[in-house]
Amino acid sequence: MVGVRANKAHRDERIALGFLVTSSAIFVIAIALILAFLAVNGTALFYQDHYSPIAFLFGSDWDGFGGKFGAAPFIVGSLVATGFAILVGGPLGVAIGLFFSELAPKRVAEAFKPAIEVLVGIPSIVYGWIGLTLLVPLIARVFHAEGDGLLAAGIVLSIMILPTVISLSEDALKVVPNALREGSAALGATRWETMSRVLVPAASSGLAVAIILGIARAIGETLAVQLVLGNAAVIPGSLLTPAAALTSEIVMDMGDAPEGSAFRHALFTMALLLLLIAMCLIVLIRLALRKRS
Amino acid sequence: MASVVAAKPAAAPLSGDRARSRRIVDRIATASLWTAASAVVAMLIAFVIYVFVQGYSAISWHFLTGYPQSAVAGGGVGPEIFNSFYILLLTLCFTLPIAVLAGVFLQEYAGPGRFRDLVQFSAESLATVPSIVMGLFGLIVFVQLFHWHFTALGGALTLTLLNLPAMMRVTQESLAGVPNTYREASMALGATKWQSVLRAILPSAIGPLTTGVVLVSGRIFGETAALIFTAGSSVSFGASAYDFNPFHTAETLAVHLYSTQREALVPDATQIANGSALVLLVMVLLFNVVARIVGRQLTQRFTGKAS
Repeated sequence: MVGVRANKAHRDERIALGFLVTSSAIFVIAIALILAFLAVNGTALFYQDHYSPIAFLFGSDWDGFGGKFGAAPFIVGSLVATGFAILVGGPLGVAIGLFFSELAPKRVAEAFKPAIEVLVGIPSIVYGWIGLTLLVPLIARVFHAEGDGLLAAGIVLSIMILPTVISLSEDALKVVPNALREGSAALGATRWETMSRVLVPAASSGLAVAIILGIARAIGETLAVQLVLGNAAVIPGSLLTPAAALTSEIVMDMGDAPEGSAFRHALFTMALLLLLIAMCLIVLIRLALRKRS
Repeated sequence: MASVVAAKPAAAPLSGDRARSRRIVDRIATASLWTAASAVVAMLIAFVIYVFVQGYSAISWHFLTGYPQSAVAGGGVGPEIFNSFYILLLTLCFTLPIAVLAGVFLQEYAGPGRFRDLVQFSAESLATVPSIVMGLFGLIVFVQLFHWHFTALGGALTLTLLNLPAMMRVTQESLAGVPNTYREASMALGATKWQSVLRAILPSAIGPLTTGVVLVSGRIFGETAALIFTAGSSVSFGASAYDFNPFHTAETLAVHLYSTQREALVPDATQIANGSALVLLVMVLLFNVVARIVGRQLTQRFTGKAS
């Protein structure tokens, strides 16, 4: 009897292990399939429609039905909006991470933390809607401009990357050993001196990861950006004129581009570009973390 | 945690002008950090109030349950709300088993090694794929290759890929919170590893696990970019717009907010968008509150301690 049950338990163990390994393998298969399918569909523009990769990357003429696929305006738009978001949201996020890790009394942290979690949960389309109905008219009034453009997109993205940067930089700062704080205080450093000259350098690789994941979030963000950018396929002359990003242009055009057309292939190429950027960021994170260990 | 140690900067033997200016810088920095954090929280509260003020007049029973209109005013979002929940449910059916099993594998079974690194790296990569790119992958596979057209199932499978990493992370983190003594006690009683996982480890992690799952569900509920070209931006007009067929097109509430501002011909498009934004926001808040309450209750029931 005991032997039978033990056998059954061992059989269960083997079956369970099979399921566990299969489930884990699904992650590997999934990312491999995504890379493969986007690599094939994203390069069809070049090998099937014989469009030059140089003209795609650096050309600024975009006319989906007219066979012109210069994606430079969208690449510039994506980079500028993301850059703005990181310049504003990055330092702000790290500062608030410092606040939670070093300054906030327990009760304040308990009151503020759920707010940050809600900020993560708000759908990007709702951010976009708030941006479109609140921020764009505000910018229009303040700068006497149309209102939509890279400034609006940059501000919306700054807000959207905050929760990511805040929580990751807080985590990075919290694992700095207390001995460093004590040593710094014992040397007579003020609290701010400890934070800025001891803790931030000590947590630098973790903070770098926080910023990089903020970049990843910003560059892939689609609808919040699409709603406030104004969607003009030109290289923007200023932050206040309508522009477009890789993500927003895909959403704008995908419904119109017929299956199998060069137009649709060009949009897949833009998606492939986004995927490659995301993969580069992952590699950067690996490098930042390796430096630590 | 550190505030105890470094709480009294003025206590150090500082004197003279230099010391005073250092102290002033410290004060300014402290005040700035407080301001920054408070400003973000105030901004969130302002957002919530703004969306409520804009949207509340659009909300009515008719709006919440009625069918959308394509040309006249007075359309509702009933089918869209239904589709959002339906796609969420389908997504959870695929995501939960895979992500929890993978999380258990990485946390409880896998020793350091090449396979574990590979899975971990794949999960991290999967987590950074932008949702619009995932949407196009879904379009290529489910719409173009399988010829399903826009379907609830295609949308749910795309969202599954998008949310597997987050769910696995949630599983790993809740398992990491289970004290090792549980594992040792269970094994000492003669349980196999799988028996320990099933009867000791998972039950004691159920509280944080549920909290995490509900929070991720909130994100699935509001996802838009991955669904526009997989589940579609129109509702099914079969026998009923409340349609359980996973092979029918299924516009969710978030996608509806997008398509309303993009191409709606109805005269009350702004009203409908305001109302949809409010319903989405209320749902997100609800998911957050439910996550906390249910997580706490389950922790209490399964481990007997308050979290």
